[in-house]
Amino acid sequence: MNIFSNIFKPIVSLVVSLTVSVCSAGAALGNSSPIRVGEIDPLTGKLAKHGQEIHEGILYAIEQANSTGGAAGRKFELLSRDDQSQPEVAINQAEDLIYREQVAGLVGGYVDSLVGPISELAAKHQVPYVASASLQQGLTLGRHNPYFFRVAHLQGVVEPLCSFLIQELKPDRVAVLYASTPGSTEFGQQVRSCLLDAAIEIPIFEKFRPGSPDFSAFLLKIRRSRVDVLISGGFFADHLILVRQMKEQKIPLRAYIGPWGIAYPSFLEAMGEAAHGLFGMCAWNPGIAVAGADKQSRAFVEGFTARFGKTPNTTTMHGYTSAKALIEAIRRVLESGKELTGDNICRALRSLDLLLPMEHLQFDLKGDPKHYQQVVVQVQKGEMVTVYPADRKTGEIAQPSSE
Amino acid sequence: MVILQLIINAFSLGSFYALVALGFALIFGVTHAFNLAHGELILLGGYLAYTLAGQMQVPFLGTLPVTALAMVIIAILLQKLLRRVGQPYELNTLVVTFGLALVLQNTMLMLFSADYRIIQSAAPAIELPYTQLLLTRTQVILIGTSLLATTALYILLRKTFLGKALRATIQDREAAKLAGINVRRMSLVGFAIGGALIGLAGPLYARTTYLYPSGGTEASLIAIIITIFAGVGRIRGILLGGWALGIAESTTVYALGTGWRELVSALVLISLLLLKPQGILSRKPKAARLPG
Repeated sequence: MNIFSNIFKPIVSLVVSLTVSVCSAGAALGNSSPIRVGEIDPLTGKLAKHGQEIHEGILYAIEQANSTGGAAGRKFELLSRDDQSQPEVAINQAEDLIYREQVAGLVGGYVDSLVGPISELAAKHQVPYVASASLQQGLTLGRHNPYFFRVAHLQGVVEPLCSFLIQELKPDRVAVLYASTPGSTEFGQQVRSCLLDAAIEIPIFEKFRPGSPDFSAFLLKIRRSRVDVLISGGFFADHLILVRQMKEQKIPLRAYIGPWGIAYPSFLEAMGEAAHGLFGMCAWNPGIAVAGADKQSRAFVEGFTARFGKTPNTTTMHGYTSAKALIEAIRRVLESGKELTGDNICRALRSLDLLLPMEHLQFDLKGDPKHYQQVVVQVQKGEMVTVYPADRKTGEIAQPSSE
Repeated sequence: MVILQLIINAFSLGSFYALVALGFALIFGVTHAFNLAHGELILLGGYLAYTLAGQMQVPFLGTLPVTALAMVIIAILLQKLLRRVGQPYELNTLVVTFGLALVLQNTMLMLFSADYRIIQSAAPAIELPYTQLLLTRTQVILIGTSLLATTALYILLRKTFLGKALRATIQDREAAKLAGINVRRMSLVGFAIGGALIGLAGPLYARTTYLYPSGGTEASLIAIIITIFAGVGRIRGILLGGWALGIAESTTVYALGTGWRELVSALVLISLLLLKPQGILSRKPKAARLPG
């Protein structure tokens, strides 16, 4: 018995200590392992321009977080996936990130036809998803998805636009053209509803497929209907064609308003003088930030420009804001010593209160941002001038030249 | 007056469609190569024109011969590549050119980024005297170029020996071979002329719509639809098919609304395929006369 004890006790002790050491080392290694964040964006295909802008905003937020030590000593690792501007690819990529890569959370997304399917998958697998550019009310209205959050919403676009039209432009007749995407369709319907409430006539209310190569027949109707204002819910590329044809055909309008796609430095550069007088909308742009975040906004512009060699725009900022929200929520979970689960991250997201350049970020119970509000800008001599609302305006409305 | 303006706009749109399709139709007719990279080649021509016009201040019309020449060279290289493709030739060229389209898309993404690019037309529209009709410079160039290109191609195919050889190759490659026509050389000529037509279409594409690296798929689709519309090997049919589609789309947008454009175009195409499967200009074959 003594012999057994003398020989085997030390061996058993050694095995136990080795096992404990290996486990401890493993645990220590686990604690320092990077936090995986998944991103799905249209990096190629029709929406590649905006997808890449969002990606750069997200990447910048991740790099910024890592440069300040990450979260609880752990670095963030960004796993970017390209949905090729196609919903079915977006689903495949999201499944890959959730099943195989086991990401802590998802971020990114441009247009609701791509964001919607990912949000459903996130709910199914209890993975938090903070969408960068999503508007469709159906995603948060009615059927509650506790794992879905977004940094923008439709009311933040429609409300300031309607107020601007009713209070400032006061048109008699308005034409509304909207794209056949879920967000733009809802936008068109809500704008029509608010204009009809204000007794403004809408002689033309039409849907179109983004990417149409010709608007000349539509513009002929605009001329005949003698509308004052044309609101186009198309995107950057659609404005390029529509505005060019409008200018070429000398369509007499008091105002052309494009909520998406006009307020971009690259749009101003592409259109040159033809952009003068156009109205656009944005939540942020260099020089346009929410109250109290000017310094932070300038630092972002400087840092981003130094990193990527180009000026950020409002889409970039949507990507940055969504990534900041997820990063901050993960940081709070880890610093509170809780396990990094989807539910804990979602709880942290719901309690966020961040002042960021684009918005004072707080989520409501549906996952919508509480304070997201866009401003109306007008292009004046190659510059974007904020003309609405009054408390944020940087200049007066200039009469656009009709030719 | 509105109707006339609508017709001008429709013809301009149709001319644009025809220009996009001409190169594809010729290459497919002569060589049976189903070039799915057609749209990407048009974009490449567009990007070249954009660079010439933007960075070197070359006038728009001055970019056309440069892009045409560049695309002739690229089309000849493409022909050399596709010559190595085995049977079934049509199917294999489709696969190879699909791969090529992806390579070109990614190359353009690297070279020009995902940003949308356009060639601006600063000049205002011309108002036709004693009417209120407007004709933009882009419309003039589109209608003019499509008419010139179609006429030149028509004369080449109908009035020259080379054209006869090309037509014989389009109609029946085996019979053309038996008649002593060097079909391989005709294939090279077909690609070269097709390349020149693609080179003409590129700058006009950038001036009419916009450029972005994956935009070629739409251009290829337009070309395929118009070629089916016209019937393979029918050059005048390409222009007529383009105009027919332009008129159908413009009147639909004007009468029913922008949202109906694609549906009506699809219905027109399906109806045409059912009623005239050989193309818009096809005629019923005459019944053979019995001797005696």
